[in-house]
Amino acid sequence: MEGEDKEMSKVFVRSAGLIPVGEYWEKSIGELMYEAASKAIESAGDVKIDRIIVGNMFSGYGTHQEHLGALLASVLGMAGTEALKVEAACASGGMAVHEGYLSVKSGEYKNVLVVGVEKMKDIDTGHLTKALAMAESAEFTQAVGATFISLNALLMGAYMQRYNVPEDQLDYFPVIAHKNGATSPHAQFRRAVSLDDVKRSPPVAPPIRLLSSAPSGDGAAAVILSSEKGDVEMLASETATNELMLFQRDNPLEFKATKAAFAKAIKRAEITKDKIDFIEIHDAFPVVSALSLEAMGFSEEGKAGRDAESGKYNLDGELPIATFGGLKARGHPVGATGVYQVVEAFYQLTEKGGKNQVQGAKVGATQNVGGVDTTSVVHILRRVS
Amino acid sequence: MLPISYWRNRKIYTRLLGSRCKKCGAEFFPPVKVCKKCGSREMEELEMPKTGVLVSFTKLTEPSYEFEEYVPLYLGFIRLDNGVQLVAPLADVVEEELKPGARVEATVRKWAEDGEEGIIFYGYKFRVVKQP
Repeated sequence: MEGEDKEMSKVFVRSAGLIPVGEYWEKSIGELMYEAASKAIESAGDVKIDRIIVGNMFSGYGTHQEHLGALLASVLGMAGTEALKVEAACASGGMAVHEGYLSVKSGEYKNVLVVGVEKMKDIDTGHLTKALAMAESAEFTQAVGATFISLNALLMGAYMQRYNVPEDQLDYFPVIAHKNGATSPHAQFRRAVSLDDVKRSPPVAPPIRLLSSAPSGDGAAAVILSSEKGDVEMLASETATNELMLFQRDNPLEFKATKAAFAKAIKRAEITKDKIDFIEIHDAFPVVSALSLEAMGFSEEGKAGRDAESGKYNLDGELPIATFGGLKARGHPVGATGVYQVVEAFYQLTEKGGKNQVQGAKVGATQNVGGVDTTSVVHILRRVS
Repeated sequence: MLPISYWRNRKIYTRLLGSRCKKCGAEFFPPVKVCKKCGSREMEELEMPKTGVLVSFTKLTEPSYEFEEYVPLYLGFIRLDNGVQLVAPLADVVEEELKPGARVEATVRKWAEDGEEGIIFYGYKFRVVKQP
């Protein structure tokens, strides 16, 4: 094999594209992918895509459409190009970017198109709830009627007791997300909410309320990863898993997957965590935000809510999170979310943030989770100056 | 739930059948193939204790389509007396009695029906132990 090995490449984000998260009743899943991918392709200049990777969680269940890799290649008029779909529940998008990163890094591919897509609005709430619960055990989570929101509600209850934290302290996370979402052109909910609004919103699964739960929406986002030098380098792409079932873990409050993926990413990027200027976290629920930030060491155990209250995670704070609204306000089209995060990091690092620009951002990170920290994907990107 | 899946797991659902590692003695529910503590593949069947404590709970009003006729659905994060943890539906709920740390016991109840002519899925639910 000697002599045949290709040299390991650096990986750059060449271009990005997305559509606002929302309700696209008139468009199919193929059209959503087409629109996001076209934006990335058009802004990439003269580029020959040699691999297509689609991140998606439940297109088969939700739209009766599988084989998304070949579908996208066909829709783009690129049939013949190698293409596949990657699934890791809500981390499908992040995992697709990870596979794209490895493709380029390996030296086997020069330009890889990664698209994350999810169509959540084609099915009713009862079936959507079922689709999301498929991230955990069919036999021991879904069978007893537990849904994804209820698992997070049980976790939040355990967190509040363990650290003696009031519900409304954790509710600062949706307030931060919505504040950023208000000025984010591609956010599903472009309006601010107050802590009072969150507290008064109807309970969905107490202590989780309507306004402390990420919404459902349709969406698609795309990036082209390239070995050719560009404005943003992907320094690290790392993933890890935790026990599939939240309550089969010794300590459900420890986000081991995020902890491991983040530690590997920091090492790979050869930076310290204080060099990170902003992070797009997986803020699906306040307790997930808190446990993620604690697992990565940005907040002490049980203190993330207090830090959120103090302004540390605001757009102008020490470590901005959810800079375009995050999962809560930008929206959470599950299998697309991880790609949205990377597109947003690209916007920040190329100063395309508009009113949401993190001033002087040089290094950004993303953290995308499938299940309740069952799969975690962490990316670290830097501006090439 | 697929009826065939219910049938495969019927003993586990009605008897809280889990597993114990023959090497290190660690106990698990649901049953596992490989010990998560020591990595041994020598596991034996073991019925879980039928009592434990309620760690946290929630009241679900938007379940999956299979459970829509049973709302509200009360669910608990339960720590059994052997330390094993699970999520289970709660039965005979009096909301005031649902408190973190409350003693709970297992019982077998209806989970759901597979349509009008399908089978009835029975399995474990937990209820708060009444103080004498």
